[in-house]
Amino acid sequence: MQSKWDIGEPEKPTINSQTEQLKSELLTLNMGPQHPATHGVLRLEIWTDSEIVVHAIPHLGYLHRCMEKHAENLDYRGVIPFVDRLDYLAAMNMEWTYASAVEKMLGTEVPRRAELLRILTCELNRIASHLMAFGTYALDLGAFTPFLYAFEEREKLLRLFEEVSGARLLYNYIWIGGVWNDWNDDQLQRVAAFCDVMEQEAKKYDDLVSYNKIFVERTTNVGVFSLQDCLDYGASGPVLRGSGMKWDLRKNKPYSLYSEFDFDVPVATEEVKKVGGQVGDCWSRYIVRMREVVESIKIIRQVLEKLEPGPVMGKVPKIIKLPKGEVYVRQECPRGELAFHLVSEGEKKPYRLKVKSPCFTHVSMLPRVAPGQMIADFVASVGSIDIVLGEVDR
Amino acid sequence: MNTTSHQTSSFKEYFVNLYRGISTTVIGMWITFRYVWAVKPVSIEYPEVREVLPERARMRLFNDVQNCISCTQCAMACPVDCIYIASEKRPEGEEIKKTTNGQPIRLKLTQFTIDIALCCYCGLCTVVCPTECLTHSHDYEFSQYTIDGMKYDYLAPDVIAWRDRIVKS
Amino acid sequence: MLNVDFNKLADLINKNVQDAGAVVNVPEDTKCDSSITVSASRIYAVVEFLKTNSEMPFNSLHVMSGVDYVEWMEVCYMMTHFDVQNPREFILKIKITERVSPTVDSIVNLYAAADFQEREIYDMFGIKFNNHPDLRRILCPDDWQGFPLRKDYVAQKEYNGMKVFPDSKMNFDDREFIVRQNMIKKAQKQAAN
Repeated sequence: MQSKWDIGEPEKPTINSQTEQLKSELLTLNMGPQHPATHGVLRLEIWTDSEIVVHAIPHLGYLHRCMEKHAENLDYRGVIPFVDRLDYLAAMNMEWTYASAVEKMLGTEVPRRAELLRILTCELNRIASHLMAFGTYALDLGAFTPFLYAFEEREKLLRLFEEVSGARLLYNYIWIGGVWNDWNDDQLQRVAAFCDVMEQEAKKYDDLVSYNKIFVERTTNVGVFSLQDCLDYGASGPVLRGSGMKWDLRKNKPYSLYSEFDFDVPVATEEVKKVGGQVGDCWSRYIVRMREVVESIKIIRQVLEKLEPGPVMGKVPKIIKLPKGEVYVRQECPRGELAFHLVSEGEKKPYRLKVKSPCFTHVSMLPRVAPGQMIADFVASVGSIDIVLGEVDR
Repeated sequence: MNTTSHQTSSFKEYFVNLYRGISTTVIGMWITFRYVWAVKPVSIEYPEVREVLPERARMRLFNDVQNCISCTQCAMACPVDCIYIASEKRPEGEEIKKTTNGQPIRLKLTQFTIDIALCCYCGLCTVVCPTECLTHSHDYEFSQYTIDGMKYDYLAPDVIAWRDRIVKS
Repeated sequence: MLNVDFNKLADLINKNVQDAGAVVNVPEDTKCDSSITVSASRIYAVVEFLKTNSEMPFNSLHVMSGVDYVEWMEVCYMMTHFDVQNPREFILKIKITERVSPTVDSIVNLYAAADFQEREIYDMFGIKFNNHPDLRRILCPDDWQGFPLRKDYVAQKEYNGMKVFPDSKMNFDDREFIVRQNMIKKAQKQAAN
């Protein structure tokens, strides 16, 4: 521990006797749990030498709800509302991963329309989540209006989700074996219209924030995660892609029907050099998210072409009993790779449900980038990994 | 940390940076300025203007006790155990009524309470209901002074009186 | 599991690591995932081999998960290889029969990801990791008693002078409700008799 913040002998001032008596020691500063830049209740204990962060220690657990213990006492359908509350900004993705873990053990065949609708909702939810990330990140760096622009578009999506599932944030929409409700034509048309609008908006956000000189100066060359660090810490999602690895589970290990779709995996390697940054900094993670929004729109358009009428719910027994065994299922969520390790002992309840949350991994990387940063730059680094504390603390 | 790049930047670079800073900010400001006339406001003034909720919106639960057959499936499906149902056998000779979809009501419902403060609005109870008497209504303004006020006894006459407003047909 | 030949990998581990004792667990149901169990004392050497070998390297630790089977506890290491052409993943397991003070070698030196993950396993299952630089509880408070995800866990009554389940925040209705229901059932039975 000592070596991490030991920055050598301080220079001895020799001006007068008063300055000799001045102590020079590290200042301990608590960022959070109630701090607007931590996006929830994360407490970061930072040791600073004047304005420079020397060491940062994340303290987790302020939002710990023992979700994994709860799940051991619930039937398989009853876990879904709890899974929603992990990553409340991308609840559809959470539900899908959990549902696919159970389906894999159950051997359920999901109807084609249901799978397409799942892709549709999850990609829409990914856009909503990235819009939130965009808005709050700009908010962290001192720009207020982008937040409102992002919410204007997000509101349309939430309204769609409310119409189709009944709730705005915690949907309980993707069920084991399919989806709850079908989308009607009017809603699908509105999705198509939203795609057109969103494409324009994405360009607007680029003008407004991405290439703004002040924003670029704040984020480039700040909080650099090298690719080796990312692999070492097990990072995934936009953090890994921001560091230059073209890895996306949807492309590299296609689950569901993703192999049928044509889309790119955005990495920031070339774009970030144009604005004068280096691969793996905050700006590249930010721009990966913004480019992913455009890729999601591509996927949604293809889904709308492929949708055909059909059932949305597969055949699932009324009381779900899984065989004895375990599965480990990974899926690509807006924040990274979410995975469920589901262990069953052949009963009506899960024996153990372990959630691999991407944000938990990413928070553990914060002490790695903190040393040597300014406090304001550290805020930029924390914002750039886009944490949701519901998922970190579970 | 951009401090190093600032220190090494030349006189020319300084002005280039200054130009870029001003020009990109002007672009952003222009987008914001357009909202003065070109974009209609999207927000609504809440207490005066209310949004019409979609049909499937899941708000406060309502149980139409006249159709409830006390099967307790909702209580079993509930992941947070907030539904309390008690029922007893009908005394012999009493007429067995039928629900609107034709199921006989064999048991007499003596208690149907939902602790809305515990409810997580997941909608699992409404799905399993065989007579579709348990539904999510569209009421979303029901703050109470005490947490006990959130326990709704659906056999109480004042709660039954909601039926005309909530249950259609 | 992805692109992993379990028998080949187990042979590879056994050949290169002394006393590794790698065994392939084949599930009864084909829909479930297979895994490899190695002996708990050699976990550091096995993971080091998995990371550094040239034939089947794994460059990342995805997550660590613990399972309590009452008779024994398991720590599962989800090994991953992030590679665009040839991705791999599999579950590596160790079995621990000791319940009072279980200890395992830490692998923080190999994968930095293990830092937080091992702290979480310690927090939830009470498994201590040797050579871990900073083994504290992570999600529960530092002075919490017991290990929540063990199957025999009972929450403590009092924490720093605070009641853990205060009456004002508990919902007793369901308990009273069950008692009342049982009374009604009894009365009905008696009436029937």
